[in-house]
Amino acid sequence: MSVHLEPVRVRTGSDDTEGHLVFAADLLVAVLVRLSDDHEEDAGKWFLEAGFDGADDPVKPKFADLDEAQEWIRRRLVGH
Amino acid sequence: MAPTPNHSTDMFIRKLGGAARLSDEEREAIAHLPVTVRPLGPHQDIVREKDRPSQCCLLLEGWACRYQLLSEGKRQIFSFHIPGDIPDLQSLHIRVMDHNVCTLSSAVVAFIPHEALLDLTAAFPAIAAILWRDTLVDGAVFRAWMTGLGRRTACEAVAHLFCELYLKLQAMGLARDYAYRLPLTQLDLGDALGLSNVHVNRTLRELRGKDLITLHGGTLEIYKWQELADSCDFDPAYLHLERRTA
Repeated sequence: MSVHLEPVRVRTGSDDTEGHLVFAADLLVAVLVRLSDDHEEDAGKWFLEAGFDGADDPVKPKFADLDEAQEWIRRRLVGH
Repeated sequence: MAPTPNHSTDMFIRKLGGAARLSDEEREAIAHLPVTVRPLGPHQDIVREKDRPSQCCLLLEGWACRYQLLSEGKRQIFSFHIPGDIPDLQSLHIRVMDHNVCTLSSAVVAFIPHEALLDLTAAFPAIAAILWRDTLVDGAVFRAWMTGLGRRTACEAVAHLFCELYLKLQAMGLARDYAYRLPLTQLDLGDALGLSNVHVNRTLRELRGKDLITLHGGTLEIYKWQELADSCDFDPAYLHLERRTA
């Protein structure tokens, strides 16, 4: 399953505003947000701000980079 | 000063509502409990799921929590514990532990053998009733946490927990002037409230931005108690603290 990203700015109530919409077959499956410097050791990581269908978890995960995030989303969608 | 068995029985008496509530005979029996006092490091398990303990643990110093581990390393914290608490009191009557208890900070604990506690409660039904009451209050706190996990926003849940901990610490004489030592990480708070540490971080910033609290260097300061309590519909009735504070 292929997924693609579209840049977006997200209002999270914090300085974490740089984000991507994640689509699978033209359907929105997740919103990723880059963590700002407010998050110290997590700064720069990508946070699953929202996920749909299987691409979700009660405690939202963080990813070192966008590739890792997309791989996790793909795996979750396939396994669901 | 190093904690002594006397210190631990004093703490037990405080836990039971203070010396005034106990007869001379009851106090004497408590003073003769064969306790073993042990210092523990942070993040050390005191009792584990599936264990069949033969003793209960009275927390004398430091913080502890009850928790369970799930697959993929996920952790749910069920409760935070402060000095005076007996987080594994249930093991007195339920043989097998269905969760873990660990320290969160450096701690000092007093282990009280089940046999001695059973003898004490059999000889003094008033003490048994106080401990029973304690488990009922425990249940009330769990209900409040369920509401928090299921129905409160991140901001409300964090605010509610901070209010709860302040009143519990204050009742044990461990906090005043709306400030207390809070040796919990953002991960601990998240694992208790079902939040990612990212959301905990944002929430703490939001509460600080509203000048309600600061959490810095392990100390929580509450600047506007009433506003914080109102923001999360905090009603302390479920803590049933009137007995201790009377």
